[in-house]
Amino acid sequence: MVITTTGFSAQARFTGKAWGVEDLRIAEYPGPIGIHDADQIARNVESVLFDGIIRGLTSEAGAPGTGSKSGRYDQRDVVCIGTADEVNRHFAAQEWTDGLPVVPPTIARVEQFLKFTTRAHDEVIAVLPSANLCATPWNVAVNAVMAGCRPEHMPLMIAAVEALGDERCSLANLGSTSGIFPYALINGPIVKQLGIEHGAQLVSRGPNPAIGRAIGLIVRNIAGFRPGTSYMGTFGYPLAFTLAEAEEGTPWEPFHVQQGYDRNASTVTIGVTNNWGASPAAYDTPDQSGAETALQLLAREITHKTRLFNFPASGPDAETVMITLLISPSVARALAAAGYTREDVIRQVYEKARMPLREFDWVLKYTAIARTTARERAEAGIYPKAFMGAPDDIVQVLSSPDLLSVVVCGDPHRNRIMVLEGGHTRPTTKPITLPSNWDELLANSSK
Amino acid sequence: MEKLEVVSPAGFSAVKISGAAHRINDLNGKTVGEIWNGVFKGDLTFPMIRKRLKEKYPGVKIIPYTEFYHLPGSDIPQQQRELARQLVATAWQKGCDALITGNGA
Repeated sequence: MVITTTGFSAQARFTGKAWGVEDLRIAEYPGPIGIHDADQIARNVESVLFDGIIRGLTSEAGAPGTGSKSGRYDQRDVVCIGTADEVNRHFAAQEWTDGLPVVPPTIARVEQFLKFTTRAHDEVIAVLPSANLCATPWNVAVNAVMAGCRPEHMPLMIAAVEALGDERCSLANLGSTSGIFPYALINGPIVKQLGIEHGAQLVSRGPNPAIGRAIGLIVRNIAGFRPGTSYMGTFGYPLAFTLAEAEEGTPWEPFHVQQGYDRNASTVTIGVTNNWGASPAAYDTPDQSGAETALQLLAREITHKTRLFNFPASGPDAETVMITLLISPSVARALAAAGYTREDVIRQVYEKARMPLREFDWVLKYTAIARTTARERAEAGIYPKAFMGAPDDIVQVLSSPDLLSVVVCGDPHRNRIMVLEGGHTRPTTKPITLPSNWDELLANSSK
Repeated sequence: MEKLEVVSPAGFSAVKISGAAHRINDLNGKTVGEIWNGVFKGDLTFPMIRKRLKEKYPGVKIIPYTEFYHLPGSDIPQQQRELARQLVATAWQKGCDALITGNGA
């Protein structure tokens, strides 16, 4: 039997089923154990977990499994008949969409895509973890249609699915709470043939967004990664994106040649990026609570941001800095229990975000656009006078607590924080004005 | 408005589904193994669970997690399968009737 923590039992059941066990027995520890101290853990084991373990070890789940069950269905079966809006509502209810409207996958549209592959429509291209579901040209085409791809994207999509199913890709690990999501890298002549963007703003232009979205939908619908069940990123997932290498602009051999392919071969590479925050865990630090760890971690994250060189600046010549601290509800509760208000958190992070002047000087020297030293900026009144100190002096990197905002959001059962760095703008809030018949309009809008 | 007939984007299962093993009514005289992968404070929870199991079932034998591999394992599927095989082999070798694994978070 398996011990999980709150919010992760569905993932355990899902994983059990993916590996053939329908009724995995689970005992759930209440809450984010990472920020619970030994006393709280003892109370939770005694009051909740232990009884669950005994039930899991000694009580039958109900009817035993049936031995085997075929999940195969006729892929041409019509699952919904309706207008585009109705289709989208049905697909959203089935969790088949990424939250955005999809192009309805009619049989005629899917068949247009299938003209661009010689593979049999029901051939199993790959078995994709973590759900261990079969990918075929048919269901790959369905997802590509939904994403807004074009039929000629099919060969690329099939190669992408082969990459997703390759053990090197280790797709089963994608469900981590750190929020890992895929991207596609395209190389070779197909980049030009399909007009895939490889230059300025590449992820936002041309067919790149649709291709990335299709891969995200395949990860959802065929690999089975559903937010909250098996895709556990604390703050969720942006849409998967697509890169193409600027092969004519690179002084080196293209990426795919480095991987052993001919320069004239067209390839797709699946990579992942892990963009969502750190996980404060007061683990081997009995001297420090989860709340203290979270504050230290938020401050530490700030000292690693890209435009750190602007953070100490103030006055009319300073660039605007905006830093948003995302704090999951469990971490917020730990902070509140330790006596911190939202304002206290901001003040504490402001106070703790410090680093040696020597390290800050390196940041300024090699990452700032303008070539001035910290001393010169301090003499000009842009930085505080502390930046005129000795290299080993510790300097405070934020000019003001006003640069910081705190937003509580994300998985209530996970201890995670995220520092969103922004600049050239300020948090700007306006009231939303509702029409007087708002309730009536709202009630009718879903009909 | 045009009515559209659409098909499913879902994959279909590649595995045979079966039930979990039968449970053990009385843990007295049985051997229970602890499997921990080195994260999420199993080193705190398992000793507490062990103590309570022995109080409730004086005849139960516990194989602590320290007698199994108990570090965070590889994220490479082949290595994960090999580790799972080793854990099962160790459990059989030590005569385990049941295993408790955790902590999943």
